[in-house]
Amino acid sequence: MNYLDCSFKINGNLKKIPIIEDKTLIHVIRDELGLTGTKLGCGLEQCGSCAILIDGEKKLSCNLLAKDYQNCEITTIEGLENKDGLNNVQEAFREFNAAQCGYCTSGIIISITALFDKNKKPSSQEIQNALNGHLCRCGSHSVVLKAIDSLIEN
Amino acid sequence: MNQFNSGPSINTYNKLSHWFDFSNPGILKVYSGKIDIGQHISSTLALIASKITEIKYDQIEIIKLSTDISPNEGITASSLSVANSGSAIKAASITLKINFIKYALENLEIKNEDILFENGVIKDKNSNKTISYWDFAKTDDFRKIIIPENFDENSLKKINYENNQKIELKTINDIVTGKYKYVHDINFPKMLHARIVRPPSYHCKLIKINEDFKKRLVENDIILFVKGSFVAILSQDEFLVTKFLEIAKKNIFWEEKQQLSNENVFNSLEKNEKESLLVKSGGEAFYEEIPEKKSFDDPKIKSLSTTFKKSYLMHGPIGPSASCAICKDNKFTIFSHSQSIFALKYSISKFFDIDPNLVSLKFMPGSGCYGHNGADDVAFEASVIAKEYPDRHILLKWTREDEHSWEPYGSASLNKVFGAINDYGEVIYWSNEAYSDTYLSRPSDLELTNFTSYKFLTNNFAKTKSTPKTSAHMGIHRNLDPIYNFKETRLVKNLVHDLPLRTSALRTLGAFANVTASESFLNDLASIKNIDPFDIRINHLDDERAIDVLNNLKEKMEIFKPKDYSFRGIAFSRYKNSAAYCAVGVELNVTDDLEINLNHAWITVDAGEIAYEDGIKAQVEGGFIQAASWALYEEVIFDSKEIISKDWDSYKIIGFDNIPVFTTSVIDQKGSPYLGVGEVVAGPTGAAISNALCNALGQRIKILPFTKDNITKELLN
Repeated sequence: MNYLDCSFKINGNLKKIPIIEDKTLIHVIRDELGLTGTKLGCGLEQCGSCAILIDGEKKLSCNLLAKDYQNCEITTIEGLENKDGLNNVQEAFREFNAAQCGYCTSGIIISITALFDKNKKPSSQEIQNALNGHLCRCGSHSVVLKAIDSLIEN
Repeated sequence: MNQFNSGPSINTYNKLSHWFDFSNPGILKVYSGKIDIGQHISSTLALIASKITEIKYDQIEIIKLSTDISPNEGITASSLSVANSGSAIKAASITLKINFIKYALENLEIKNEDILFENGVIKDKNSNKTISYWDFAKTDDFRKIIIPENFDENSLKKINYENNQKIELKTINDIVTGKYKYVHDINFPKMLHARIVRPPSYHCKLIKINEDFKKRLVENDIILFVKGSFVAILSQDEFLVTKFLEIAKKNIFWEEKQQLSNENVFNSLEKNEKESLLVKSGGEAFYEEIPEKKSFDDPKIKSLSTTFKKSYLMHGPIGPSASCAICKDNKFTIFSHSQSIFALKYSISKFFDIDPNLVSLKFMPGSGCYGHNGADDVAFEASVIAKEYPDRHILLKWTREDEHSWEPYGSASLNKVFGAINDYGEVIYWSNEAYSDTYLSRPSDLELTNFTSYKFLTNNFAKTKSTPKTSAHMGIHRNLDPIYNFKETRLVKNLVHDLPLRTSALRTLGAFANVTASESFLNDLASIKNIDPFDIRINHLDDERAIDVLNNLKEKMEIFKPKDYSFRGIAFSRYKNSAAYCAVGVELNVTDDLEINLNHAWITVDAGEIAYEDGIKAQVEGGFIQAASWALYEEVIFDSKEIISKDWDSYKIIGFDNIPVFTTSVIDQKGSPYLGVGEVVAGPTGAAISNALCNALGQRIKILPFTKDNITKELLN
C-alpha cells in the first residue's frame, strides 16, 4: 500500500497527514480528522449527505481523491460557525427545528450556505437547483423549505 | 378532563424511580423505553414532563435507551411512542407533582396559599424556606410512591398546563453544527471496521475464495472472517475495507440454491399458496370459512369491483444501517439504532445460547427510517464478528447496495374490492380481499431466521413460512376493516407464501395499501351516484371526532381557490380504527408528459391531547411526503438473479422539487389519551393523490406507483 504525505487546509487549520494514495476525501475528513458531521450516505454522489465546500463551491466528497485537494480551502459543517456562533443558515435551521433524524441535514446546510454566500436573494429555481440531489427520507422537506424561505425574507 | 389512564408501561414500571433520576441538582433525567428515530420523541417526552412538573424544559434530559437501565416498553413502532411512553411519563409527572406538593406543605408546615412554586422548588412566601423535587427525591416517601393506573377527575384538577409551547428540539443544535453522533461516528481505540461480502441474492452458498485474494488481504492487514457462507472483511482503516470490498466481490464464488422469480409478483400474489382468514368488525382475523361474495340483481343497486396493486417498497434510510459491538469477558455491549432494542437483546443471547444479562444493547442514533430496516441485522452481524475478536470494538456498516438489496421490504400487495350502493347513496355491501406477504418479521428469540445472515451462518437454506397474525389490525389486515358504518362487510386477509423478496414492517404495515384502495374505491362508488366525496364519508360515520376532522379539512380547503388546470382529491382514515384521525386533501396537476406535480396538501389531524404541536405537524407532513413518494415513484425492481434497485438511480424517491405547500391543522382534545401520528397520514395521502389523479385523468389508475409507465398502461387498458 502506497502512502503519501499530504497537507489539507480544513476549516482554516492546516493538517499534515500521511494517507493511502487513493483514499477518498470523505474518509480523510471523517476518519483521519475526526470531522464526522460530513455523512456517507451512498458513496455514489446520489444523496448529497457528504457535501462539503471546496474553495466556496459545494462538492460531494464521497468519490473525490483526497490527494487532489491539498491546495484548496475545505470547509465542513463543523467549520461553518463564525465568531458570532452559528452561520445564518445554521441559525435558521435551528430556529425552525428543520431536521428529523438529521442525517441529511449537514449536506443541505452546506449547499444552502454555498448558495447564499453568492446570492442573498436567490430565486425559487436557484434554491431548487441547490437542493437538487439532496435526499431526505424522514420528510423534513417542508420545514427545511420554511427555514430557507426565512433567509430570503431576512 | 374526566379520567386519565396511565397506559400499559405503568403496569410494569410503577415507581417514580423507574422514570425519573434526580441525582444531579437542577436536572431532571427521564427514562424512556422509546428511541429517537427522527420523530423527536425525546423532545416531546421532555415537554410532557416539563408541562406538568413545571421544571424548565431545558433542565430536563431524556436518557438514551439502554437495556441495562431503561424500562422495556417494547418496540418503537406502531405510532405508540407518545401513547405509551408519553402517557407513562405524564402519569409519573402528575404523581410526582401531587405528592411533592403534599410533602412540601407538611414539611414546611404551611398552607397551599402560602407557597410559591417555581421550576421545581416550593418556597414559603413568609419564611423563605424552600424545598425542591431534588430534596423530595432523597426521601423514603418518594421511594414508596406507586404511580396509579388511573387518575380521577379530582386528582387531575390539581394539574394545570397549556399545550401550545414552542421549544427547541433537544437534538437540533448538535445536528446543525455536525456534532450529533450517530452509530456510524463511533470511534474506539483499535476498533475494527467491517463490511460484509454479500452473494448476489438470498439463496447462495459459499463455494470458494480465491487464494491470491486471501494473500492480498494478509499483505494489507485485512482480516477475512468466514463462518459458513457468511463472509466479512475487517481492518482498522475504514477506507481499506471499502476498497477491498469491491475486489472481494470478484474473488468470492457462490452456488445459487434457488432463484428469485421472473414471474410478475401480482400474478404470484394471486396464484401462490396462501392462508386466508376472515377479518371481522373490530379488525381481528379468524380461521373461519370465507363467505361467497354477494351479487346484486336489483337495478336500483349499483355495484362495482376493482383490483388495486402496490409494488414492493423499501425503507431506504439515507445512511445505511450500522452497529458497533464488543465482546469482553464473554459479555456483549452492542450500540444499535434498532427500533426493537429489547427484542434484539433476547434474540442475540438466544443465538449465542447465553444468559440475556450478558448482552447489553445501547441505543445510538441512526439514519431516519420508520420500520424494520437493516438495523437489527447489522447489530446481529456485528455481534457475531465481535464474538470472534474479543476485547475489540467492531464497527460494521452496511453499504448502500446492502441496504437497498438486503433490507426487509414492505410487501407488494393486491386489494380486490367490491361494493354496492343503493339509490339513497348508502353503501350496502363492501368486500375487500387483501393479498400480501408478511409485514411482521422483526427480530425475535423464537424466530432467529428473521435475521438475514442466519441462513448464511448456518448454511441452512431451507424455506421458512410466516404465520398469519390474527390480532386486530396486525400486519396485512391493518385498516382493512372500514371505519364507516357500511351495512355489510366481507373482509379477507390472505397471507401469500413463496413470494420472492424478504419482507417485514414498513411504516403503516398493510394500512397504506388498504386505505389507499378503500378510500379510492369509496370515491368510485360515490361517483356512480354523484355524491360529494366529503358527503359519502360523513354520511357513513357516527364518530363525531371523525366528522369534525373531515369538516375541518373541507373548511381549510375552501379557503384556497384551485389553481388553473389542477385537480383535487381527499381521503380519510383513523389509524387502526383506534388511534389518531386524519383527513388529507391534495391538489395536483398532471403534465402532458404524465408527470404529477403536487401543488398543495391539506392535513387535519386529531391525535387526542396535543403533546407537542410542532412535533405532530413535522410527523404528519413528513409522513405525507414519504407516502407521496411511495405513491408517485417507488418500486423495488428485481429479476430472477438479483435485486436491480441497488441505488437511488434505480430506486427513485421524492426530492425537494415536488413538495407541496402544506396547510396542516391539529385539533387538540385536551384530557383525551395521546394518539401517535407517525403513520396515520400515509393511507389517506395515497388515496387523496389517487383521487385527485382520477379527477385529472377521468379514469382510476389502479397500480402504484403512478409513474408514466403505469399510467400509460392503465389508460391504454
